[in-house]
Amino acid sequence: MPFGVRLHVWGERACFTRPEMKVERVSYDVMTPSAARGILEAIHWKPAIRWVVDRIHVLRPIRFQSLRRNEVGAKIGAVTAERAMRAGTTAGLGLLVEEHRQQRAATLLVDVAYVIEAHFTLTPRAGAEDTPAKHASMFNRRAAAGQCFHRPCLGTREFAADFALIPEGAPQPESALPPDQRDRDLGWMLHDIDHAAGGISHFFRARLSDGVLDVQRCLAEGTTA
Amino acid sequence: MSVLQALDGYYGRMAARGEAEELGFTRENISFALAINKNGSVRDITDLREVSGRRLVPRRMSVPRPKRTSNVQANFLWDKTAYAFGVDGGKSKRLSEEHESFKKFHREMLSGVDDQRVEAFLAFLDRWTPKTFEQAPFTADMIDVSFVFRLEDEHLYLHQVPALRARWIESLQEQDASRVMCLVTGRMGDLETGHPIVKGVEDAQTAGAYLVSFNATAYTSYNKPLDGSNAPVSKEAAARYGAALNALLEKSSRNRLPRPIGDATTVFWADASEATAQAAEDWFALMFNPPAAETEATGLEKDAQQAARLGDALRQVAAGRPIGDLDPRLSEGVRFHVLGLSPNAARLSVRFWLTDSFDAFAQRLARHYDHLRIEPAPWRLLPPSVNRLLVRTTAPQEKFENIPPLLAGELTRAILAGTPYPRTLLAAALIRLRAGDDPSTGWHAAAIRAVLARNDDRKEPPPVSLDRENPHPAYQLGRMFAMAEIAQRMALGKVNATIRDRYFGAASATPAGVFPLLLRGMQHHLSRLRKDGKGGFIEREMDQIATQLPPELPRSLRLEEQGRFVIGYYHQRKARVGDKPVDEIADQESPKEGDAE
Repeated sequence: MPFGVRLHVWGERACFTRPEMKVERVSYDVMTPSAARGILEAIHWKPAIRWVVDRIHVLRPIRFQSLRRNEVGAKIGAVTAERAMRAGTTAGLGLLVEEHRQQRAATLLVDVAYVIEAHFTLTPRAGAEDTPAKHASMFNRRAAAGQCFHRPCLGTREFAADFALIPEGAPQPESALPPDQRDRDLGWMLHDIDHAAGGISHFFRARLSDGVLDVQRCLAEGTTA
Repeated sequence: MSVLQALDGYYGRMAARGEAEELGFTRENISFALAINKNGSVRDITDLREVSGRRLVPRRMSVPRPKRTSNVQANFLWDKTAYAFGVDGGKSKRLSEEHESFKKFHREMLSGVDDQRVEAFLAFLDRWTPKTFEQAPFTADMIDVSFVFRLEDEHLYLHQVPALRARWIESLQEQDASRVMCLVTGRMGDLETGHPIVKGVEDAQTAGAYLVSFNATAYTSYNKPLDGSNAPVSKEAAARYGAALNALLEKSSRNRLPRPIGDATTVFWADASEATAQAAEDWFALMFNPPAAETEATGLEKDAQQAARLGDALRQVAAGRPIGDLDPRLSEGVRFHVLGLSPNAARLSVRFWLTDSFDAFAQRLARHYDHLRIEPAPWRLLPPSVNRLLVRTTAPQEKFENIPPLLAGELTRAILAGTPYPRTLLAAALIRLRAGDDPSTGWHAAAIRAVLARNDDRKEPPPVSLDRENPHPAYQLGRMFAMAEIAQRMALGKVNATIRDRYFGAASATPAGVFPLLLRGMQHHLSRLRKDGKGGFIEREMDQIATQLPPELPRSLRLEEQGRFVIGYYHQRKARVGDKPVDEIADQESPKEGDAE
């Protein structure tokens, strides 16, 4: 399709957290479309475009690892911050870690690599000078140069992602997935969160066939497992 | 495949067996039933407890689901004495509040229900004062246990009356619950705000813990409230997975390992027709958790039978044939799940979650036992389960609660997923040996050999049984250390601190510094033995070992090489010279207590 892009992403660790195991994190087996969208948006995004993920290729064996980390159980709310801004003082704004210590376990993916195939569509906020060609070339230029607004991450911010653009016509990187991991039924996977409609989560029936998660095809197939 | 979806599948099996609870009801421990007369006075009390061993344990009954966590909320038509009667054993500050809430809750729920039982119950609530608990038929052991109620001589308890059950289920429908897409079923459903509590995980809160929970603001995202909308699960799906998980975790369940691995309570189940699934689960329980050998004679035949069955199964699987050939019930492919849950205060974390075909698990277990093999085997007949292996090699004082929990989880995952073992197992075993564990039992040697055999693809795996020609200097140094210890034992008999106690760690880590010292001492022992005409075999073995060593002893040994040292030591200690084991010769020929000099 016109102006599709391919991005090779890899990292040491990844945690695409399952929504139901958010506290004691358990990762999905494979990158979620929303995480892929997040990586693309970190490289290039304007209100004029909306990224749509087509396919995710899994290149490395799916391996898990457990860790326990000390975290905190409280957040400093936006209201508290606002109040401090208006009052002009930071009194009462701090969070003492010792009072809110929580230990949380996480089951993460180790040594991951994916190729994300995606395209973008123009949104109603696209102006007269926004053309698909312009944004495609901006993305390609930025991805090739390694530019990003903020470092893309594999699920959570602490797992930074390395990325490389796969230019048109270049061969796909080799997949090292063992044969018994190439086809699996991933169950109901998070497709994305509809922020415009108030943060509703959408799920789709995901399937890995020959090491490829074909998002559009799974969406089209619906619930026929 | 997520945990919740697989549990949902198991609920289907439970429902087909007829064991499924109706949604809105859970199994709880009930001890007594109070019978009330029509006018609300107390008639008598029936003891519902069952005999288990020498104790009386409460009976598990299906009752309306409790909805309280840490707040004051009465249960419907059953509760503990603090709520039901206003009497408890401790000094609860909110006792009267709890009892009042019980009365108020029932007056509200049962208003408008026209039934003589309801009238009697409401009259009972009106007439009851906590003082009545001090007289007969109430006794002291009835405090702080749960009661159910019934009218006079009826068999049906109040919570089993159809009209009241319907009233309860009706009350569970929330009027204004939000509709969300459920992530377990994929269909729209009412959002579940309070996920089911899971009981049965070892060392979790006694009140139960949550698998899915959002109990602090830091756990929510996108400014969602603490009601679970970050993880949209429909009420039916939540009730189903809760029932399934609680059933799997019951103490007597066949789907649960009797002892947690590290801190992870482990459950396993299969997705198939009932007969096939039960066969698969039985096989898994045998293959993954072989029972420890009995010491009494009566257990021996059972052991031999189990060992034969397990041995057959492992050989079959190792040869690449499906286990269906051995057991006709397993002919079709069976999807198998293993879940390890470890407690973290009021939450449960998933220590490991593995889903695969049963054949794949069987093959990986066979491969694991193959890597664990060492001759002579430290264990009788059956290879050890993960728990037994870990407690003998990594736990201080060999106590199950001292097994490092993260290592236990990673090792289980490595075994069942067929991936390399965690290197921390090697390090933990060596640390225990330095701390004073006995390396001649062979458990540490077996664990170390397993790690080296599976993880180091480039090098040759350490030998299974004594290999006198092994080219690794670390292995030969281990053998030499064993002979030095034997020489000391034969010459001096029992001493307070043998060279093993003093020098094992240093010899395995920095041989160049320690071995000259040991060999000097050994010469004295050997000369003593020569005068008595004993110990010729020691010198012959030492000559043979010396031919295998490099001209300069290594200054330090890496962790993997220290592992080979331990394996060499064990092999040599259990070696046979002539046809007697070296240990036996040493024992027979060492000077006993009280011998003349």
